[in-house]
Amino acid sequence: MEEPEPATIRAAAAGDLAGFEQLVRAYQQHVWRFLRRLLGDASLAEDVTQETFLRVYRRLPTFTFEAKFSTWVFQIARNAGIDELRSRQRRARLASVAPPPRPSAAPPDTRVEIEAALASLPVELREIVVLVEVLGLRYHEAATVLGVPEGTVKSRMFNARSRLHRWSTADDGRASGEV
Amino acid sequence: MRCDEARLALSLRLDGEPVYDVDPAALDEHVAACAECSGFQRHAERVRAALRFEPVDVTPDVAPAVLAELGSFKEEAPIRSLSLQRPARTRRPLVAAAAVAAVAGMAAGAAFVGIGSEPRSPAAADLPERIVAAQSDIGSVDARFVLVERGLPGDSGNGDDNDGERRYDGRLVYEAPESLALTLARTGAPASDPPLQLVVDGDGWWQSTARQCAPVPGQSTCPDGARRWVRSVTGREPFSETSPVPLELVSPVDSFTLAGTPASLGTRTIAGRDATGVVVTAAQMASFLAGLSAGDDLRAVHPGDPVELWLDQEHLVPLEAIVRAGDGPDRARWASAQATTEEPGDTILAFKVHMLAINAPVPDDDFVSPATSVAPNETVDAGFRPADGAGSEAPTPTDLPAGFRPYRSGTISGTGGPEIAVGSWTDGRAWLTVRSTDDWPGDRLFGGLGTNVRAVDLGAAGVGYMSDDGQKVALHADGLDVVVSGSVPADELRTAAASLGVTGRPVPPTWDEAATATLAEAAAATDGLLVAQGLDGFGPPAVRTAGGTVSLVYAGPGDRGFTLVQSDAPRLTPPADGDAVGVDVRGVPGRYSAERGQLEWVEGGTARSLSSPTVSLDELLAIAAALEPA
Repeated sequence: MEEPEPATIRAAAAGDLAGFEQLVRAYQQHVWRFLRRLLGDASLAEDVTQETFLRVYRRLPTFTFEAKFSTWVFQIARNAGIDELRSRQRRARLASVAPPPRPSAAPPDTRVEIEAALASLPVELREIVVLVEVLGLRYHEAATVLGVPEGTVKSRMFNARSRLHRWSTADDGRASGEV
Repeated sequence: MRCDEARLALSLRLDGEPVYDVDPAALDEHVAACAECSGFQRHAERVRAALRFEPVDVTPDVAPAVLAELGSFKEEAPIRSLSLQRPARTRRPLVAAAAVAAVAGMAAGAAFVGIGSEPRSPAAADLPERIVAAQSDIGSVDARFVLVERGLPGDSGNGDDNDGERRYDGRLVYEAPESLALTLARTGAPASDPPLQLVVDGDGWWQSTARQCAPVPGQSTCPDGARRWVRSVTGREPFSETSPVPLELVSPVDSFTLAGTPASLGTRTIAGRDATGVVVTAAQMASFLAGLSAGDDLRAVHPGDPVELWLDQEHLVPLEAIVRAGDGPDRARWASAQATTEEPGDTILAFKVHMLAINAPVPDDDFVSPATSVAPNETVDAGFRPADGAGSEAPTPTDLPAGFRPYRSGTISGTGGPEIAVGSWTDGRAWLTVRSTDDWPGDRLFGGLGTNVRAVDLGAAGVGYMSDDGQKVALHADGLDVVVSGSVPADELRTAAASLGVTGRPVPPTWDEAATATLAEAAAATDGLLVAQGLDGFGPPAVRTAGGTVSLVYAGPGDRGFTLVQSDAPRLTPPADGDAVGVDVRGVPGRYSAERGQLEWVEGGTARSLSSPTVSLDELLAIAAALEPA
C-alpha cells in the first residue's frame, strides 16, 4: 500500500477538503474491505467506513508522520469497528457463538464456506486474518495496527489458520488433539 | 519434524515472514509425506485465494457522504444524511486507491509475473481477451490527444529551453483495416515548425519527421530544411511489419495477447467515455510507446517502469497512458546513464485523449498523403504489387477467424530476395496474412520468426513452427515455405495455418531451428531440468538444446520475456561484468549482473541463468523461486 504525499496529509490536516478527498479515495477501499470482513456485514461496513474517515479527519492534525499513514488509518478503522461491535453488543455474542454447522450442500472450501468459517472466528483472530490475508499487511504492520507484539500476530495467525482448517474438515476433536 | 512445527513454518512462509530454525527441505519433505499437513497447506492457500480475490467495483464510495458531513461537498443531487441511510451507490471504483495499491505492488516486482502476493483483480481478469476480441468491432477512430514528456535532460540537444518538459498536441485518425494518419505538433512551437506526420493508406505511406542535424565532415552548418525529413514509400505489402503503422495506438493488441491478469485501477470517465484502467509495464507497452513517437525520438523509458493504462470500456481504445519512473538501483543507474532527471514515481510520459469518436464516418481526405505537394527527401518502393491474376498466389486458409474477409493480395518482387506471394484477410482492426515463396534459400525458417520457435502439431497439415510470441506460424513444405501472421490469438493462427492445404515438414537438420526440442525431450535428456510452470502472462517456452545446454525462451506480452539457460556445469564462469552483485536465489548464493539483466546460480550441479532485458531483478527472483522440476 503506497503512502500519500506528506504535503497532501498536511494540506488535509489544515482543512483542505480536496486533499482530504484524495486520502479518502486512496484508502476507502482497503478500509471497507477490512471492516466488511471484521463486521461480517457490507452495509454496516460502509457506515463504519464513513465514521472512520470522519475520525481520520478530526485526528489528522495529530498525525506525527512517525507511523505509516496507512497503518494509522487502519488503527482508527479497527477501533471504529470494535466500537461498533461493542455498541451493538455483538462482540460477546459473535465470540461465544458456536461455529454454525457446515452447509452440507456446499462443497468444502468454496468462497461462501470460507467466509462462514471466517465469521466463526473470535474477533481477535478474525482481525488478524483480515489484516494479513485480505489486505496483505506484513506481521509488523498488523502488530502496529492492533497494538500487540509481532510474536502475538504470529501465534494468532497460526491459531486462526488451524481453526479455519479444522472448520473445513469439521473434525474438531481429532485435529485439535493432534495440534 | 512435528506437525505443529511444520504448520507454523508453513503459515509463516505463506505470509512471506522469515522462518527460523526450520530447514526448508526438511519442511517440504515432511509436508510431502504428511497428509494432514499438506491438507493444512492447501486449505490455507485456498483461504488466501478466496479472501484476496475480490471484485474491485463493488466497493462503495463513501467520499461524498464524508465530505457532505464535513460541510462543503457540492453535489447536484440532494445530500443524504450520514446516518444509516446511505448515499446511492455511485460505482466510482476508487481509482486512486487501486492505482496506489497496484503501483505499490510494482515495487514488489513479483506483482507483474503473476506469482506475487499482491491481490490480482478479477475486474481486469478478462481484459486481455476483451482487447483481442474487440479489435474486430473497430471501424474507425478519430482521437485528439495531448502528449507530454518530462524529466528530459536539461539540454535536449536541440538548444530548446525546455525545462525538462516537452508537450505535443496530437491527432490520430484511423479507418479499418490499415489507414492511419498521425500528427504530432509541439505545443507553442512557431508555425514554421512543421508537425511530425505519418500517413498510411493502402500500399503507400508517407512520413515527415524531425531530424537532428548531424555533423558532416566539411560542413559546419546544417542546410535549410534539415530539421525535417520526408520519406515516401510505395509498394507496401498489407499489414507490413516493417512500416510504422502504429495499430497499437488504435488498440493495444500486441501488449495483451499473452498478458496475464493485470492489476486493475477500476473505472473512470475520460473524454466523456467510460474507461477501465490497469497497470502494466513499459516493456509490455513497447509497441504502443514506439507508435506514439510517429518516427521521432520520444524520451526513453525503462522497461520496468509502471504504466497506468486506461482503455475505452467498450472498444478498448487507449484513452490515457501514464508512464512513471520505476524504483530500484537498476532503474537509478539507467536514469543516470540517460542523463534524465526524474525521481521514482514521477510521471515521465503522459498520453491523454481529450476528444474521441469511434466508428464515426471519416472523411477520405484525412488519409491523403502530402507527397504530391511536398517533395520527399527519400522515396522507396517496397516491391509489393496487387494481384493481377498472372503472378503466384499465396495458399488460402479455409479456416479463418469468423467474420474475416479477403483484403489486399499480390506479390513482392525486385527486392533482392525471393518472390513472395501475399494474401491478407481482415475484420475491423484484426488482420491475418499468409506469405509464401517457392524459392526460399533455406538455412532458417522463412518469415522472420527469430530463432526462438516451438514446433506445433498441425494434425493432418504436419508440423508447424510458432514464434515465441505466438504471432507467427511457419510451415516448411516440399517446394513451398509459408508463414501465417496476424493480430489474432495464437490458436486462431494455428487453425488457419492447418487449413492452408500445405503439409509442413520438420526443418532440415542443417537449419538453425533444428535445435528446437519439445520440453519433454529436453527434460528427458537433462537431469534436474527446471521450468517455469503456470506463469501468468507468459506463453509456453521455445526450447533449444545443444551440447548439454538447454535454453528455454519465454515470451510475454509486448517486449516482455525472459530466457532460462541450464547447462551441465558444476560452477559458474567467472563474472564477465564488474557490476555483478551477490544475491540469494532459491536458497543458494547466486549473482546478478544489471548490465546483462542476468541472474546466475548453481543448483544440483547444474549452472542456471535467468536473463531478461525487460524483466526486473525482483521479477527474475520471483520467477526463479517458482521454478519447478520439469
